[in-house]
This record gives sequence, C-alpha cells and structure tokens, in this order.
Amino acid sequence: MNKRVLGAVGAAVAAVLLLSGCAGGGADASPATHDKTLRLATMTVPQSLDPKDATGSALPFFQAVYDTLVLRTPAGDYKPMLATEWSYNDDQTVLSMTLRTGVTFDDGTPFDAKAAKANLERFRDSGGPDAANLAGVTVDAVDDSHITLTLEQPNPGLLFFLSDSAGLMANPADFDEKDALVTTPDGTGPYVLDKDKTAIGTTWVYDQRKDYWGTAPDFSTVTMQVFDNENAIVNGLKTGQIDAAVLQSADQQLAAEQDKDLTFQDVLFDFQGILLFDRGGAVTPALAKPEVRQALNEAIDRETLLKVVRDGRGQVTSQVWGVDSQGYETSLDDYYPYDPAKAKQLLADAGYPNGFELTLPRLTSIVTDNIASALQTDFAKIGVKLTWADVDAASALKQIFVEKKFSGMVMNMGQSSNDWIVYSTLIAPGTFNFFGTMDDQVNKLAAQARALPADQTAELYKKMNERIVEQAWFVPFYRMTYELVTVPGVTAAPQAGMAVPSIYNYSLSK
Amino acid sequence: MLGFLIRRLTGSIALLLVTALLTFVLLSIPNQDVGRQLLGMQATQQAIDAKNAELGLDRPILVQFFDWLVRAVQGDLGRSWFSSENVTTAIGNRLPVTLSLMIGVTLVTAVCGYLLGVWAGTRRGRVDTFVQVFSVAGYALPGFLVTIVIVIVFAVKLGWFPAVGYTPITISFTGWLSTITLPVISLSLAAVAGVAQQVRSSVIEVSRSDYIRTLTTRGLPRRRILFRHVLRNASAPALTVLGLQFVGLLGGAVIVEQIFGLPGIGSMTIKYTSQGDIPIIMGLVMLTAIGVVIINLLVDLAIGALLPKARVS
Repeated sequence: MNKRVLGAVGAAVAAVLLLSGCAGGGADASPATHDKTLRLATMTVPQSLDPKDATGSALPFFQAVYDTLVLRTPAGDYKPMLATEWSYNDDQTVLSMTLRTGVTFDDGTPFDAKAAKANLERFRDSGGPDAANLAGVTVDAVDDSHITLTLEQPNPGLLFFLSDSAGLMANPADFDEKDALVTTPDGTGPYVLDKDKTAIGTTWVYDQRKDYWGTAPDFSTVTMQVFDNENAIVNGLKTGQIDAAVLQSADQQLAAEQDKDLTFQDVLFDFQGILLFDRGGAVTPALAKPEVRQALNEAIDRETLLKVVRDGRGQVTSQVWGVDSQGYETSLDDYYPYDPAKAKQLLADAGYPNGFELTLPRLTSIVTDNIASALQTDFAKIGVKLTWADVDAASALKQIFVEKKFSGMVMNMGQSSNDWIVYSTLIAPGTFNFFGTMDDQVNKLAAQARALPADQTAELYKKMNERIVEQAWFVPFYRMTYELVTVPGVTAAPQAGMAVPSIYNYSLSK
Repeated sequence: MLGFLIRRLTGSIALLLVTALLTFVLLSIPNQDVGRQLLGMQATQQAIDAKNAELGLDRPILVQFFDWLVRAVQGDLGRSWFSSENVTTAIGNRLPVTLSLMIGVTLVTAVCGYLLGVWAGTRRGRVDTFVQVFSVAGYALPGFLVTIVIVIVFAVKLGWFPAVGYTPITISFTGWLSTITLPVISLSLAAVAGVAQQVRSSVIEVSRSDYIRTLTTRGLPRRRILFRHVLRNASAPALTVLGLQFVGLLGGAVIVEQIFGLPGIGSMTIKYTSQGDIPIIMGLVMLTAIGVVIINLLVDLAIGALLPKARVS
C-alpha cells in the first residue's frame, strides 16, 4: 500500500512538472487586446485617502482621484498639470505658479488659487508626512489663477514635492469636516472612488470621471488590490486576474518569468546597504574614523551577496545616489572592491588591528538569514564582530531613531531622482543623519547647490557624492532590480525615482 | 438545560472580559511609537506627539482600555490606525471570506470524514488500510505545499478555477463557488483525515462494546445496530474534533488565504498584528473569542441532544 501512495505522489509531481513544461509555448504574433479595466496589485496600504496622509509608495491610490499641481513624467521631468506655468525668481526663493482654469472638484466647486493655498497650508500645518517638506513656505493667492510660494531659503526639492504627495489637491470644502477625506476622496483627478465596490483595506475601485478636464485615460475602471505576498500576485498575473504589478523578490520574479506572455521591465529604485548613523562614534567609537568605515566597505563581497540574496538581480554599488540623479557616477559603483586584506590594513591604520564589536538591529523583513550570516562572515574576516539585535517592527523606529541605540542599520532605501532630496534625507543632519554628522566640504557644496537652478547643479552633486563615498558614510551593497510586470494588452512605463509607476503611466497597448 | 446555558453564558462573558483586558495590556506594553510609524521618519517629534495624543495614546493603558470597552459595548470598535478602516466594516468585509472557507471545509470534512471513517470502521480490511494511509498522508503532507501544487495545477496551468481573489456570494453564486473551491479542498485534506481517523476508531470501539455485542446476539439487523447505536455513540468524539477543527481553521486559514490572495480574517490578523494596530487586533480577538465560545456551546448542545447521558456531566 505504501508503494501505491508513493506512486500516486510521484504521478502528481510528474503531472505538475509536465504541465509547467508545457506552458508558455508559442508566442502570439497578433497584438493582444485587453478590456478597459486596469487591475493593479500592490502590497502597500494607504493610511487613508486624505492627501495629508499620503506618502510616495502609496501615491497611485491618490493620483487616481487627486491631480497634482505639477506632473512628473516617467523620465522625471516636470510638466503642467493643475499648474500650467511656473517660474522662480533669481534667488530661488519665490515660486510663482499659474493655475489651470475651468477645473472643478467632484462636487462642482471650482479649483482656484484659494483652493491651492488652502491645500498647501494644510500640508504644512497639519503634521502629516509632507509637513517637513513644506515647512517655512508661505503661500499667497495673487488672484484666482495665480499663487506664489515664498521660501525662507531656496529648496531645490520643492517642484518634486509638488509633483508628489504634497502637490495633491483636495476640495477644501472637506477640510472643516473631520475625517471627511479619509474614506471619501474629493479631487479633480481622472477617476472617482466607487464606494460601493470598494472595501478599504483590500480592494479599491475607481471609475472614470466623465467631466475630467484632461485627456480621458484608456481605462474606464481601475482596481487596486492589496496582497500580502508576491506569490499570489504572480499567480494572478499568470492567470490574467491582475494586469500589472512590481515584483520585488528575486524568487517571484523568476517564477513570473516562466510565463512568456508577460512583459518585464527593470526598475532600479531601491538600494540595500548599511546606513551608518554614528559617524561621530557615540555608540561605537571605532566608527568615528573614516578608515574604519572604509574598511567595512572593503570587507563586503558585494558580488557574492547579490548573487546569493537576489539571484544576481541588481547592480553592486558603493554610492547612495541613484541612476536617475545628477550626482550619480558610474565609477563610484565599484569604488570599494572586495579586498579584506586592504580592509584589515585600514583597521590597523586606524588603531583597531584586532577589530571591534558592532551591534546592528535586525528587522527580519529586510535582513534575511542569508544577509545576516553573509555580513557576519565578511566582517569576521577582518576581525569585526557583528552582532544582530532582534527588534520587532512595531518598536524598531523608536529604538533606532528616538533612543539612538544603534550605530547603523541595514535598510532598503528608495533612491530619489531629485538630488536635493537625496542630500536632505540621507546626508543633511536630520532624518537619516540623526547623530548630526557635519562635513565642511559637503556643507559648502550644498549651500551652492541650494541657490542654483536645477540645470546648473550636476557638478556640485557629483562632488558631494564623491566626498560621501570617500568618507564612507554608508556601506551600500547593491541597487536591487525590481520588475514591473504587465500582461499582454497593457503597457506601463516605469517611473523615475519611484518604485511603482504613476497611475498615468498605464495605457492600453496600441 | 436552562441552568446549564446560564452558567455557560456568565462564564463566557467573564472569559471575554479577561481576554480583552489581557490582550489590550499585552498589546500596549511594547515600546512602540505609533505616531512615528504613521507619519514616517521625517516627521517632527511635535507632530508625532500630536498624533499620539489624537489617538489617545498619551493616556494610561487602563484608561485607554476602559475607553475602548465602553465604546465596544456600544458597538463602536473604532478605526484602524494604519488604514483608517472602520473596524466593524473591515471585519464585516472579511468575515464572509473566512466563514465561507470555514463552513465549506466543515461541511466537506463532516461528510467526507464521517463517511470515510464509518466505511473504514465497519468494513475494515483493505478499505481500512486505504483510509489509514490517506489519513497519515493528509496529516503528513505540509499544507502549504499541497496548496501550492493545487494552485499551480488547477488554476495557473489548467485554468479551471481563479488563482487569486474572492467573489462575494451576493454578487455571483457561481463566482463565489469557483473562488472558494480550491481553498476549501486544500484546507479539507488534513481535516478530513483527522475526522476519518476519529470516527473510524470510535466506530470500532463502540462495535466492540458489550451492549453492541448483546444487540448483535439478539439478532437485530446489522444496519439498525449501526445507525441506531454505533453511529450515535461514535458521533460525540467526531463532533468534538469537528468543533476543534472549526476553531483551528481561523488560524489554519492564514496560509491558504495568503496563497489564494483571499481578503479574509486570517491574513488580516497577520498583517495588522505585525503592525500593532490595536483597534483592529482587539476587534479580531473579540470576534475569535466570541466565535470559540459559541462553537463550543453549540458542540456541547449537539452532543447533549445526541447523547442524553452527556447532559448530566
């Protein structure tokens, strides 16, 4: 009887193998047609549909119903949207914008300068994720269709923010009513939320707005479905139940690639690496020496790590500036080749010939077993004893950012296409530099870049990037290749500086 | 019977209160910073403090608990911190998914498990061996593996059923049936195995007991003995197992819900618990606790109805 069971299991396995072998055969030459519904899958849940709670990763949920002041093209350029023209004064402290006329919110209220002002001031004052981005900005409504934004000092990231979550314009009529926008969005965008079909938290359904001011989108309905694992997303893509998704895990990318009908596009947005916060040596004294930080960089076998962790899907790098930014330099990707001998020498030069002990927090969602052991092994070779401290997701932020218990952490970080945002989030004292490390050269370059129009700053950011790499403020491993997957009949363009495409980047294949 | 019911109900309410208090306190103890999680790493401490105050997190834990309790008794379970869902609506949206699975699995398990068990217990011989092997296999094969193979074969390759998603029964009955068929089959395998085993041994045990032997020697028809006496007495353990499995399904559904992308209670529990979304978790814990209480009560009542002697104990 046992033999018979074994035989049955064997037959089942054989059947699976046979069936998987058969799939994805002959490619179809005729262009695929697709219905007018776009079914997107995501693992991100927006905190609410009120723009003041919006963050970059949840942007598509908002873009469907709210237009932004400025449109960011897939390549990262700025184009008119609710603002038709804009210009800075000479010292980059006043941004004047002309607003589109004849645009209305869902309830018929016109969108005008007063509405724009109310929205921007709300972002600034109501303590949401964008409050810091608009801090110190004064907004004036010049007339119905003109506003000016006056800055305390130049902010080269401002246009980016206005093309991102801080540019989402909601109907001010809903501001006074507490939480009105949380589940009932009211914007000027191409879609309206279909509340009957939407189950917040799992499925959002948007129907095309009939009186949209702009070009009507290709899709009459957009559904966004939240999944908690990519396995289900891949099955959905293979069976055509999902039209597009960005796959992050190398395993799932591989699984999806078995289906020859799907289209794959590389997205190089997130890098993974150690963010060293403690460059002054407050928690780990050794880290105060640049040579020690350089040694950590030299100690990591990035190629092997990339192969083991991500099946080689990505590009090794020593810089935190991304490929879409001005400061990016190809040569900095292999600035720190794998060289344990040199690393040991650097440690000896810095006065740590026997290495030192380093404790980093371990968020298991990021630091998988293979990453954890690979880093321990690489560091052990140069005498650095790496200990992982387990932290739970709920209290991690507090332990790391408020209590400052650790000298650094392994993170996946998006690489903004805007250089000033790279500088202000990662380099300048603040969010990710909360020990407040300063560097004279970097400060000087930042001051110069801040006062110049964006088209004149490339050299400055390149120099800043070089300085940071040379000072080894970070231990980047690689940029991770994510894949934007679409089914036949649907076209999507990856968005520069964003992990997921904007909602406008999807269309029916022509 | 009434006294039994009242005793059980009072006990249940006390149990629910203790569960609620313990869960709330345990969830509140971790050193978490909800405001910072919500507003992101770039937010100022001032904004974070304001957010925490807005959520009422700056008050003592017991005050927060009683506030929650008072509102919960009035039917207001609050709103999710991380997705702004109304807790009642959120659970209401997802409960039908999990309930469809649970009821489907229980039906399949009751029918198939019972039939297989009786078949094996009365026929013995080769049939019995087959059921035994099936049961061992059903338990031994990892559930997620079986599920993945089922998805690949019947959904992705053959396209007979959808691979992901759920269609509510109110929108389309056939759509609903097609979305829950594979998940129910995946979840049923181990459950059927368990019940079949249980019924089989009970049937064998009861058949061997003295009174059945007496009945047999008196010349009563086999069929009558089987239905009137053996099955009736063998049902109690089977019902207990079935009840336990039904409760266990709440947790067991997690993997199947994730693999099939079903927006149910199981996957919801995992997602919100890892974030520490207290309003949602409290709602889920209460739902589960009430569910467990009700199911146990129903099982006890059913056994009592089947076997009068069980009522005494």
